[in-house]
Amino acid sequence: MLQNYFKIALRTLLRNKAFSAINIVGLSVGMAVAMLIGLWIFDEISFDKYHQKYDRLAQVMQNQTWNGVTGSQTAMPLPLAPELRAKYSGDFKNVVLSSWNFEHILAVGDRKFTKTGNFVEPKFPEMFSFKMLKGSQKGLKDPYSILISESVATALFGDTDPINKIIKVDNKTNVKVTGVYEDLPHNTTLSEVTYVLPWEMYLATESWVKNSQDQWNNNSFQTFAELNPNADFDKVSAKIRLVKFNHDKQDAAKPMVFLHPMSKWHLYSEFKDGKIAGGRIQFVWLFGIIGVFVLLLACINFMNLSTARSEKRAKEVGVRKAIGSVRSQLITQFLSESLLIVVFAFVLTLVLVTLTLPWFNELSDKKMSILWTNPYFWILSISFSLITGLVSGSYPAFYLSSFDPIRVLKGTFRVGRFAAVPRKVLVVIQFTVSVTLIIGTIIVYRQIQHAKNRPIGYSRDGLIAININTPELVGHYDALRSDLLKTGAVYEMSQSSSPTTAVYSNQIGFNWEGKDPNLQALFGVIAVSHDYAKSVGWQFVEGRDFSRSFSTDTSAMILNEAASKFIGMKNPVGKNINWNDKNYRIVGVIKNMVMESPYEPIKPTIFFINYGWANIINVKLNPAMSASASLEKVGEVFRRYNPGSPFDYKFADEQYALKFSGEERIGKLATFFACLAIFISCLGIFGLASFTAEQRTKEIGVRKVLGASIFNLWQLLSKDFVMLVMISFLIATPIAYYFMNGWLKNYEYRSEISWWIFAASGFGALIITLLTVSYQAVKAASANPVKSLRTE
Amino acid sequence: MLKITDLEKIYRTEDIETVALNKLSLEVKKGEFVAIMGPSGCGKSTLLNIIGMLDDAEKGSFMFNGEEIIHFNERRRADLRKRNIGFVFQSFNLIDELTVYENVELPLLYLGVDAAERKQKVEAVLEKVQIMHRRNHFPQQLSGGQQQRCAVARAVVNTPKLILADEPTGNLDSTNGNEVMQLLTELNEAGTTVIMVTHSEHDARFAHRIIRLLDGKVVMENILG
Ligand SMILES: Nc1ncnc2c1ncn2[C@@H]1O[C@H](COP(=O)(O)OP(=O)(O)OP(=O)(O)O)[C@@H](O)[C@H]1O
Ligand SMILES: [Mg+2]
Repeated sequence: MLQNYFKIALRTLLRNKAFSAINIVGLSVGMAVAMLIGLWIFDEISFDKYHQKYDRLAQVMQNQTWNGVTGSQTAMPLPLAPELRAKYSGDFKNVVLSSWNFEHILAVGDRKFTKTGNFVEPKFPEMFSFKMLKGSQKGLKDPYSILISESVATALFGDTDPINKIIKVDNKTNVKVTGVYEDLPHNTTLSEVTYVLPWEMYLATESWVKNSQDQWNNNSFQTFAELNPNADFDKVSAKIRLVKFNHDKQDAAKPMVFLHPMSKWHLYSEFKDGKIAGGRIQFVWLFGIIGVFVLLLACINFMNLSTARSEKRAKEVGVRKAIGSVRSQLITQFLSESLLIVVFAFVLTLVLVTLTLPWFNELSDKKMSILWTNPYFWILSISFSLITGLVSGSYPAFYLSSFDPIRVLKGTFRVGRFAAVPRKVLVVIQFTVSVTLIIGTIIVYRQIQHAKNRPIGYSRDGLIAININTPELVGHYDALRSDLLKTGAVYEMSQSSSPTTAVYSNQIGFNWEGKDPNLQALFGVIAVSHDYAKSVGWQFVEGRDFSRSFSTDTSAMILNEAASKFIGMKNPVGKNINWNDKNYRIVGVIKNMVMESPYEPIKPTIFFINYGWANIINVKLNPAMSASASLEKVGEVFRRYNPGSPFDYKFADEQYALKFSGEERIGKLATFFACLAIFISCLGIFGLASFTAEQRTKEIGVRKVLGASIFNLWQLLSKDFVMLVMISFLIATPIAYYFMNGWLKNYEYRSEISWWIFAASGFGALIITLLTVSYQAVKAASANPVKSLRTE
Repeated sequence: MLKITDLEKIYRTEDIETVALNKLSLEVKKGEFVAIMGPSGCGKSTLLNIIGMLDDAEKGSFMFNGEEIIHFNERRRADLRKRNIGFVFQSFNLIDELTVYENVELPLLYLGVDAAERKQKVEAVLEKVQIMHRRNHFPQQLSGGQQQRCAVARAVVNTPKLILADEPTGNLDSTNGNEVMQLLTELNEAGTTVIMVTHSEHDARFAHRIIRLLDGKVVMENILG
């Protein structure tokens, strides 16, 4: 019996090829999007699950309050970890220190690479369950050892066995390879940890780290903890809240220590007022909703087309009922048809997803693959397809089977004006979604453009930054500078404690005349050399640049406009600021430089001269020479000073552009989804228009005989669709406004939502609709009326 | 009014060619009432469609009001058609979604007649065919005779010079059929040329002249007294 149902269903599909194709393609595009999004969500929520102790790991964090604003940070003082280990051993199985994920130079003979890795305490690899391919997790016991990832091992040693081989780190320290671990997968927070070095070595080679061992106010390290099996994150957080504050009750920032569980690192990484305020989880929800919507659109098409066609099948239903088919059999028949379509669509979906996944991976910066071997994937997607088939097939099934056979056979059956209403509602829903997505996409791009056009306050053309990470570059400032200038490839060179695209250090301890004593002033602080202004192209608002002609300029400061506003002096130039009991004279105020997020207000920032505190060399290339030629010459000089290191540089404009990558990704994804929604909606109206045209063939013929022109008929057939799109537009406008206004609120520096965005989207949707409908309309209108009239 | 000479029409399908009209010649004068008769498949409808400029012929000449139109393109024919010709079909061909009034109004709309004049003309013609009281009904709510009267009203509302009727009584009983024939006669008496295809000798007697076709050719003409 069931076989019979499917046989008839297959025949019906084959007989209506165009209809079946539209349905299958539409549905599979919808399902493919849903599947891509599903894979993306799976990747997001499985983040960090690679680590076996996922449920028990946490990062130790602290809340500090400045000027009434509570911020949460992962930077912790060094002595915290030993204290947690000693005093709370009942709660913690392990507590380890880690440095930041910094670039270091790893060299084996001639092979030199800049790679990112951490200094960690020996338990770290065990805690994070590194899968050792060679050697042991305990390999960091020796203070001059290193564990490297598989990809680093291949880069440095090729096919030879790396164990017990020597690597020179940053051109100064030799370490012995004691293990190779499987690369941490891309969907782990620690995926950039491509090697780990022993903490002991950090202490031994960096004197500032050694000095930090008893400094409770030097927040420069990360601390990770593993809880004992039955300990609870919240309870332990409450217990350790005051560990830091108890060491310095005078601390105005009132540091409160807490645990951030690994399960929240990726999706809940944003904090507000000391509490978790979301993060990527919002995108998981957003994309989830979009996926459901796109699938819904595809289902709507399916129902729409099936019911539209049903009117042509009214007679079939009548005959079937007359010869004794009961309603339930008819329902089964129609459901078999829709299930068959879904089966075809699902196969096509798998093909589509396989084809588009590489591209989608690039777009979303992931490495996802179809989970061919995962039984849950199959169970989920097959049951999902079945539900789709049942849901989208049930409306036509119940609707069709309810036809009254007597009226149908007598020929008095007419699908009244109201039969079209649900179908129209469905089209309106589709277009509402499409128009909303179009508006959203435009607003996202406008916001990116708006932030890109923000005046940055300096000149980044031909500006490159070189990390000072080996001792060779330290202490030769003047010689290096004059050698660089001599090449003719360099316009100016300077050094600074932060690159132009970040502020590495924020400090307190400032005082000035007229300062509110309760104000906890926090400034971004950047140490620079005398030639900084010239190399980055500072724009002065007041006062002057640092100058070698004034020896007193070693205690001079230059403020940005935000800092000048913050201290609130009328004429700041010439006034003094006291910082950690030393007086500095303000000599100038510069235009705000956008160093951090282009969407945020500029942080009050102070610049001062300090040659001892330098992390970055800024080189402004000679604009008269080609970049590649100048880089060649600059590279030569650097290799001479620093023969052990590769010449690595970063263009300031490229670094700056990275700040937009997140938003640009959202923009691209939104475009992708909007295009799909439009595509699916168009397939929908295309199919519907062809049915309308077919249904009205006789009417069109009569009208033509009576003198209607093709244009008259085109108008007649398009009018209804235009009305529907207008209604969708009216619904979509407030929805899009509401959501996009909310999204823009995330950005302090944001664009306005202007009326033309809505007008353009509505107009665009209208044009697309007309183009889609016109094909059918013109085709129907140009047919010879004699033919349609003789069919009567 | 129209003069047809050596008209040929051949339908080609995949395997066979059907000669629907075979060197057919025919002349109709202004003010005439002509009936066309013949067995099924002899080419009556084909001829009427060509005269009505809905279809075109392969060869021959078709003079309409002294003008050769055989080579007219679709647009020019459509223009000529909507000014000069009204159609009545066997199966009425009313538009189900429109009321009686709207159906009748349609040709005027396509001619671009203004609203006031439309109202006046439509009402006059509905009055004449006696379905004014049904003006707001939809076609399915009418009897066959009423539907055909409505179709006739629609055919004449723009006062065409020529009315083409393809078996106008074919779907009607004799009472309703006679009413329709009466209407056509009245229109003819008022000066409109009428060409009608029919299978009924009874209806044919309303005409001035009967043309008999066989296999796409005129085989006989009877002038009626
Ligand atoms: N579109 C077409 N394709 C092929 N052959 C056609 C087509 N239209 C008509 N014919 C053929 O042309 C011939 C004339 O057809 P026509 O419709 O003019 O006949 P008729 O005289 O009106 O018949 P009836 O009295 O049954 O209405 C017939 O043999 C018919 O089969
Ligand atoms: Mg015929």
